[in-house]
Amino acid sequence: MVACLLAGAAAWYAGGSVPAFARSSPADQDQLARQAYQVLKTHCFECHGAPKRSGLDMRTQETLMAGGANGKVIVPHDPGKSRLYLYATHEAEKKMPPTYKIPDADLETLRAWIEAGGSLEGVQEAASAAKDAADLAKAEERPIKPEERQYWAFKVPVRVAPPSPRTPGWNTNPIDAFLASAMEAKGVRPSPPADRRTLIRRAYLDVLGLPPSPEEVEAFVADRTPDAWTKVVDRLLASPHYGERWARHWMDLVRYADSEGFEFDVDRPQMYRYRDYLIDSFNKDKPYDLFIKEQLAGDEFAPDSDEAMIATGFLRLGPSGGGTRQDALDDLLATTSLTFMGLTVGCARCHNHKFDPIPQKDYYRLQSVFFSTREVEYPLAPAHEVETNRKAAQAVDAQQRPLRDELKKIEAPYLQQILDREIAKLPEYMQIAWKTPAEKRTEGQRLNAIQIEKTITNDSLRALTTEKDIVVLMPDAVKAKHAEVKAKIAELDKQKPKPLPTAVSIGERGRMPQPSYFLHRGSPDAPGSQMTPGVLSVVSPEEWTFPEPPPDAKSSWRRRGLAEWLTWKGNPLTARVMVNRIWQHHFGEGIVRTPGNLGKMGERPSHPELLDWLAVEFMDRGWSLKAMHRLMLTSRAYQMSSNDIAADLGVDPENRLFWRAPRVRLEAEIIRDEILAVSGSLDQTIGGPSIFPYIDPDLFEESSRRTWRGKPDTDPATWRRSIYVFLKRSIRYPMFETFDQPNLINSADRRNRTIIAPQALILMNNGMVLTQSKLFAERVARDAGSDVGQQVDRAFRLALARPPDAVERQRSIAFVKASPDGLTEFCHALVNLNEFVYRQ
Amino acid sequence: MSQRPHSQHTGCGHIEKLLYSRRELLGSLGGGIAGLAFADLLSRNGLLQAAVAAQTQTKPGGNPLAPKPQHFPAKAKAVISVFCYGGVSQIDTFDPKPDLVKWQGETMQGVGPVRTIMGNPGGLMPSPWTFKKYGQSGMDVSDLFPHIAGQVDDIAFIRSMYATSPAHGPALFQMNTGSILAGYPSVGSWVTYGLGSENENLPGFIVFTDYRGGPINGPPNWSNGFLPAAYQGTQFRDKGTPIVDLKPPVERTPDQQREWLRLLHDLNEKHMDVNPLDTELSARVHSYELAFRMQTHAPDAIDVSKETDATKKVYGVGEQPTDYFGRQLLMARRLVERGVRFVQVFSGGGNFDPSWDAHWNLKGNHGLHCAETDKPLAGLIKDLKSRGLFESTLIIWHGEFGRLPISERLDGRDHNNKGFTVWLAGGGVKGGTCVGSTDQYGYAAAENPKSVYELHATILHLLGLEYENLTYRFNGRDMRLTDVHGKVIREVLA
Repeated sequence: MVACLLAGAAAWYAGGSVPAFARSSPADQDQLARQAYQVLKTHCFECHGAPKRSGLDMRTQETLMAGGANGKVIVPHDPGKSRLYLYATHEAEKKMPPTYKIPDADLETLRAWIEAGGSLEGVQEAASAAKDAADLAKAEERPIKPEERQYWAFKVPVRVAPPSPRTPGWNTNPIDAFLASAMEAKGVRPSPPADRRTLIRRAYLDVLGLPPSPEEVEAFVADRTPDAWTKVVDRLLASPHYGERWARHWMDLVRYADSEGFEFDVDRPQMYRYRDYLIDSFNKDKPYDLFIKEQLAGDEFAPDSDEAMIATGFLRLGPSGGGTRQDALDDLLATTSLTFMGLTVGCARCHNHKFDPIPQKDYYRLQSVFFSTREVEYPLAPAHEVETNRKAAQAVDAQQRPLRDELKKIEAPYLQQILDREIAKLPEYMQIAWKTPAEKRTEGQRLNAIQIEKTITNDSLRALTTEKDIVVLMPDAVKAKHAEVKAKIAELDKQKPKPLPTAVSIGERGRMPQPSYFLHRGSPDAPGSQMTPGVLSVVSPEEWTFPEPPPDAKSSWRRRGLAEWLTWKGNPLTARVMVNRIWQHHFGEGIVRTPGNLGKMGERPSHPELLDWLAVEFMDRGWSLKAMHRLMLTSRAYQMSSNDIAADLGVDPENRLFWRAPRVRLEAEIIRDEILAVSGSLDQTIGGPSIFPYIDPDLFEESSRRTWRGKPDTDPATWRRSIYVFLKRSIRYPMFETFDQPNLINSADRRNRTIIAPQALILMNNGMVLTQSKLFAERVARDAGSDVGQQVDRAFRLALARPPDAVERQRSIAFVKASPDGLTEFCHALVNLNEFVYRQ
Repeated sequence: MSQRPHSQHTGCGHIEKLLYSRRELLGSLGGGIAGLAFADLLSRNGLLQAAVAAQTQTKPGGNPLAPKPQHFPAKAKAVISVFCYGGVSQIDTFDPKPDLVKWQGETMQGVGPVRTIMGNPGGLMPSPWTFKKYGQSGMDVSDLFPHIAGQVDDIAFIRSMYATSPAHGPALFQMNTGSILAGYPSVGSWVTYGLGSENENLPGFIVFTDYRGGPINGPPNWSNGFLPAAYQGTQFRDKGTPIVDLKPPVERTPDQQREWLRLLHDLNEKHMDVNPLDTELSARVHSYELAFRMQTHAPDAIDVSKETDATKKVYGVGEQPTDYFGRQLLMARRLVERGVRFVQVFSGGGNFDPSWDAHWNLKGNHGLHCAETDKPLAGLIKDLKSRGLFESTLIIWHGEFGRLPISERLDGRDHNNKGFTVWLAGGGVKGGTCVGSTDQYGYAAAENPKSVYELHATILHLLGLEYENLTYRFNGRDMRLTDVHGKVIREVLA
């Protein structure tokens, strides 16, 4: 019925003699407006409705009249001047909709309606759309209630004086004082001190991730001076291997990988510079506030510093090469909030946070902080060198271009032969489409003709047709000419300058940020208000002021603003989150056992006053990590034994009072490092491009476009620390994957510690383990000579930092003597022991 | 210890508590039990016998793959999931659209803009194959699947599936994990997390890939995501040993290995004596026993040569082009028979030609892949039935999306996530059913559209798992396979 009416109207106007609806009755006008609204809805709303392309939303009277980013789209009573009409009729660029033309009858409706005033007044749907829009705007607001600010994690930490416990010796270090007084309250006694061998091995594994040498163990055991322990602690914190151990913890949080992930999982061969930046930063005890600033906004704080630019690689670590921009931003925001704030802000993407007072608007305010970032490959060379390099590359290219054109010309006729042959093979309806003159083709024929063009007569066939296919059709003389031109191009390739090393970095296009919006339900199709940058409302009662970038700034300085908020001493989260992480790695569990979630769904701190004391201390000591390590390592609490004490276990089986040192299975990387260390093979070089140890090709050869250039286990180039093993998201090193290395895709604040049979298989049968066991045995034979008793003793000391007891010695000697490979087999058993893979 | 996983509301990431909570284990497990089992294993009975005995013997707690009860009674106990990687064309297999002949070379009307991946849309292209009706149910099947055609009364087809992404990577992730992004646990991981596994000597979730290679995304397709590593899919390989590092070094004789394990055990026991209450330590000793048994069991479990000629024939083993895929499915059946919970078999690998991804030469591509898989799939159904396993095994067949009814590169079809067909058979499934339909072109799900979430909810439901309650706390949220979506597709339930 409607169609009939419209068709009638079109015919009527085609006559052109009757003036517009201007003269018609209001009822007619309303009907016309309703019809026009349907036309707009059918053809325009997909982009200019909820998605507001170019800022244009045609759904309501107000927004339609307001126009879009490029101004008004309707001039009432004048279709000829209304861009909406001109674009729709394809009389002016841009053609709208871009992919097809609106049917004539509908265009006529639009024309008549604009002529009549182009108003949507009286269209019920437009009115309700306006109401919906108002409701949505209201839905963006989620005020913070005063009591929500009183949640422990949102209050600024306050230093209280450490208590005075009765337990002798637990009064000196404030950590001990807090812990002991909590234990006293629960009737739990702290464990006795660990023996020195256990203690030094524990500290080496915690601080360096490497076992102590037998000589280091013996020196400590023999050192009777009162500061024997602090000397060990200071030595460890000064070791460059400290940075390797602690950078790896950070890499878990920021889901570091050396490849992009997704379908093609392209390598990121320059990413390792960020990993080296981490190692270096930890080693030089970079203040944590600076560490944050560099990673979030190095380009804004220190644009000329290679180090700061490399640090912004943090913002590039997420998977890329698939997914939408919104997904990538979400991943970045989720990781940033888990890592630095210890909150799950990512949960507020589609709605207000269900448990914490994090409004959805905070999410999009934070998103606007990152919205304008873009990928920058920052050349690690002086400006003049960059310029010289660019010019040299251009020069070669200019010489090659005519040669490449010539090559194409030579190939053209032979390529044509192939094309003609292919077209002749097509089904009849396709050939008809091809032969029909362009102006007479139906829409389907038009598409098929384009398909033929694209598939056969242009690049696609070129891709299917190899150069060999073409050359084979050439007479010899042409062939020779072809080869000659090719050789010239290849020769010029050699003159191309070597690409400069680059850092995987972040920048923006200028000081003006790109507009970003609140997204209702998280959908890019339902944008709400434009966002200005902001931080967590619950933490900042006053609006946090973002800095104004100077006139010559290359970016919006929004990330700088965020970094300043995070490192502001009034921020209740940052210091607490970080001291809790340091604690977690020394004491097995955090004071808050959900280190990435201090919110309501996380756990409460077991020792809130201690956590706050440490947080304030951390800031007061200039955000020094090493100061915090030293404080923790020199506590009595750290030096306790990890052995079972039935009475304490009965009261506190989960060790929430920290009444003993934890016994934890070592991480995948550390088990491997330990094996390399005890065998004497470990190459201790710090930093540099990642390495590729052997992976059975059967495990990855399936993956097209992906490969792993693994070197044999016997190649010393692979005998480096695990932190240097290339982390490819789709080809995981089996040992790491099986021993719970996080998936390289999500931020991981705490590793799983599963115990499964495939782990045993790897330690029993893997080529790397077997190779190193053999080298371990050779080392033992070298060190200890031919006496089996001496060999057993030496092997125990190397692997477990202690000599065997009488039973172990006897059992081991018998085993070694029982077969020709006994020593290797024995050494292999040692690296499989519980004691070897546990830190206790 | 037999708690339902969803009742675990421990803190974020505290999974080892779930597995090896000291409190829970203290009563049930002393340091010596694992040692006893081990001694028994290596005793006079001989290795194999001991291993077989160990299979039936009650094991101490601490095994994350220990069987867990269903949430409610359901027939299906195990899953064989066949993934036709690359995307199967619905209109050339199970969703006939004869009118396409009439409209060949024309465009689709009234469907809005058509999204293509390769950006080269042509006109409508009719199927080069013909359809007939089969079985009591009169199901439509094209001549690409003559053997499946004989089993349609056992199969429930869903012709109105749709997915979110038309790109392989995200679509594979969605089909396997529910999310289009990487990092989430796969269906097989959720199922083994929910139900454990019935066989202690084998992994609970096993994956076979095509001889031409694995799917893109690689192992993240069968990843445990944020679930504990015990629930990740273990890839069984068709060459070498089925599991990574399964085989002891060549120079080590079985006797030597036994001696070696005994030494390891003795030295470990010494250490455990000092820490008698630490169940992790004994669990780790236990894991060496399992690993040792796996060395015998895994190769045996997939040793197809132990099957009769008649059985092999049903799967098309020993003939071409069905030999490879037939073996895969036969191995899958052997594993399911042994209590493995979830077996996923990929058909198609690599990019384009080697997979179902028929961007060009649809005839050659689907012709080959269907010929390779048709007889084995029908054989699997027949074989499971004859063994009384059909009712306890759920078979799932799908790709990551379907294909467009218009041509690409003249004789191929581009990706289509808007409408495609999947099928289910076996435990708890109502055979001879057909759910939903696509539009007149076979392009978009039209009637009764079903999302991937709904498919996943249905799979969990058929296994007796409440899909809304099978959760795991990660980064502050109770995660689940179907996220906040999904509804069981009741029409396919028997």
